[in-house]
Amino acid sequence: MKRNYWAVPVAAALALGLTACGGTTDADTTGGDDATTSSDAGSGDVTLTMSGWSLATTPEFQTLVDGFESENPGVTIEIKEYDPNEYENLMLTDMTSGQAPDIITIKQAKFTYQWAEGGQLYDVSDIVSGLSSDVSGAGSYEVDGVNYAVPYRQDSWFLFYNKDLFDQAGVEAPTKAWTWDEYTGIAQQLTTNLAAAGSTAKGAYLHSWQSTVQGFANAQADADIFAGDYGYMKPFYDYNITLQQAGAQESYGNVTTNKLTYQAQFGKQSAAMMLMGSWYAATLLSQQASGDADSFTWGIAPAPQVDGTTLEKPITFGDPTGMAIYAKIDDAKLEAAQDFLAYIASEKAATSLVEIGIMPSSFSDSVSDAYFAQDGMPTDDLTKFAVGTRETRPENPVGETIMEVQSVLGIAHTSIMSESSGVDEALALAGEDVLNENW
Amino acid sequence: MSATTATTPTAKSRKNALRRRNTLLGWSFILPNFIGFALITMVPIVALFYISFTDWNAFGNAGWVGFENYADLFGNRNFRIALVNTFYYAIPHILLTGVISLALAVLLNRKMRGIAFFRTAAFFPYITSIVAIAIVWNLLFSPDYGPINQILGVFGVDNPPGWTTSADWSMPAVIIVGTWREMGYYMLLFLAGLQTIPHELYEAATLDGAGKWKQFLHITWPGLRPTTFFIMVMLTIGSFKVFDLILVMTDGGPGTSTLVISQYIYQQGIENNKFGYSSAAAVVLFFICLAVTLVQFAVNRRNER
Repeated sequence: MKRNYWAVPVAAALALGLTACGGTTDADTTGGDDATTSSDAGSGDVTLTMSGWSLATTPEFQTLVDGFESENPGVTIEIKEYDPNEYENLMLTDMTSGQAPDIITIKQAKFTYQWAEGGQLYDVSDIVSGLSSDVSGAGSYEVDGVNYAVPYRQDSWFLFYNKDLFDQAGVEAPTKAWTWDEYTGIAQQLTTNLAAAGSTAKGAYLHSWQSTVQGFANAQADADIFAGDYGYMKPFYDYNITLQQAGAQESYGNVTTNKLTYQAQFGKQSAAMMLMGSWYAATLLSQQASGDADSFTWGIAPAPQVDGTTLEKPITFGDPTGMAIYAKIDDAKLEAAQDFLAYIASEKAATSLVEIGIMPSSFSDSVSDAYFAQDGMPTDDLTKFAVGTRETRPENPVGETIMEVQSVLGIAHTSIMSESSGVDEALALAGEDVLNENW
Repeated sequence: MSATTATTPTAKSRKNALRRRNTLLGWSFILPNFIGFALITMVPIVALFYISFTDWNAFGNAGWVGFENYADLFGNRNFRIALVNTFYYAIPHILLTGVISLALAVLLNRKMRGIAFFRTAAFFPYITSIVAIAIVWNLLFSPDYGPINQILGVFGVDNPPGWTTSADWSMPAVIIVGTWREMGYYMLLFLAGLQTIPHELYEAATLDGAGKWKQFLHITWPGLRPTTFFIMVMLTIGSFKVFDLILVMTDGGPGTSTLVISQYIYQQGIENNKFGYSSAAAVVLFFICLAVTLVQFAVNRRNER
């Protein structure tokens, strides 16, 4: 039999040639693992790719896609799954190699500046200017007057409290009038009373993240995080050091070395109060339903305030989660991508998001009703007030050096909370590092 | 002389062809590895030196900035802390690991019941996941609930260390874990070295009345010199490049108490996208490792004379 030695290289060359031709005629140039033929000139159908993470446990991406596709039959959106722990690193790799998806989910708002300045995000100012006034969080994606992403969820931090443990301790439930002084005093009182009642639960639990302290300080002290003077954080740290030294909250050392999870600490009733982001409400509801968390009555109160001046509209913090359009998107797909971004901040999308426990960026009265209609969600007046009446300030204000500043402040946080150095000393050092750009 | 003993031109060319064939065969064996090494190691190293003189931030072009990154690096307080911390980790870790692994090797270089178990037990930490090691040791070091501080409490230590949650004790804690993890590997290398020392030397020394310590000093130690040199070079480079253990145990904290150069490189490059600046830090680490290794080679050469 005559062997055709030339067949393999010729076939390979042809295949390469065809691929190259395909690359020039197909609208899709995003490639990646989920490379798809994106535009079919005959039918007008468009396939977009979109980034997401942990799809099995994060249904929000599919919810948004399903809602949009049902309204736009010609558009298909394929979700490309990324490792949540390496999301930004993987996205950076995809961007620099020209392989990023058409729709880029912005997991952490602080990356917006870097990606926008790097020319990776498309200007979506027109879409943002057309959004409803109920939508919040868009400012976190604004760089030099240009909007680069549209928020679809806006988390805010609240005080979650266990009503049963308050009753057991004989302490009155929180009110909307709480300041940090009251919070600190009541956490200690709860711990004492619970111990007297035979419980080992502590008054409060503070997770190890720097935002659990600095997020409130930045939001409520009305300070400039870039200015390099962090004295305004001192009272917020003093409250927490007082609590951990009094044994009213687990020490930072025990939280980090024992890898304590906030879900277990509050869900298993080891603490009567916990400052946490709004996403925890959905987690707690699902863990109580599955038995991973104990069954107990709980509620949400506004985060404690500095003084009485903000009690009518409590100030808290939180970053939005949004979506951007990849700057290198094919022209044939741009319109569909813009339509999708307009959809994710719509009331319809918001209603579908609250049904899976997500706090959407658009929080109108009807969306609020849907939020409180979730099975098991507390509907008392204080919870409704906390969720409905709030001023949520960004955890990460937009700025060129936000990543570096947060990194310096993270060092200060571990120094202070581990009590390795004094509050004044660590904050002064952080200020010095920021001013001298010692990152 | 018969025609059979002389090398005929045909035989010569056949021999040359055979040699050529063997050479090509040899190259074909090493080429895949060589290409892999060149592409994955050599090219990035050359690129690293170039990038360290630029302001490349992953996006756009890399602008030439000369020695600016290096000047910024040495003017940066956190880099200087990382530099000092790297030596603070490396020196005790090298000494402790070297001494303990040698002691273990000498101890386990004998025929006794269950010796394989003890050797495996000593080696086991090295092949265990570093993340698992970090989690378990952090639990052991837990200031209030950890068994280490509870045992110290039994012995009357009223104010036990905070270990990984204390700026003063975090580095000693990491050194302890790093030494525990790596001693088994180096013990194995020392054991291999010990097997090469002729047993007759020990028998002769025993007959001459030399004690165990003298035998160690005059037979074992000189006999292990090539192994010790190899171990010290490997251990030194590994210690200066320490990264994963610290990342998962303390993440450089509390504060900057365990921040080392490798982690600083990671922070600046991967987290802050300052690839030019972080490449400069990587070049500094490269020269530190090179300098220390060259000193070791020089000392070894002097000892051999």
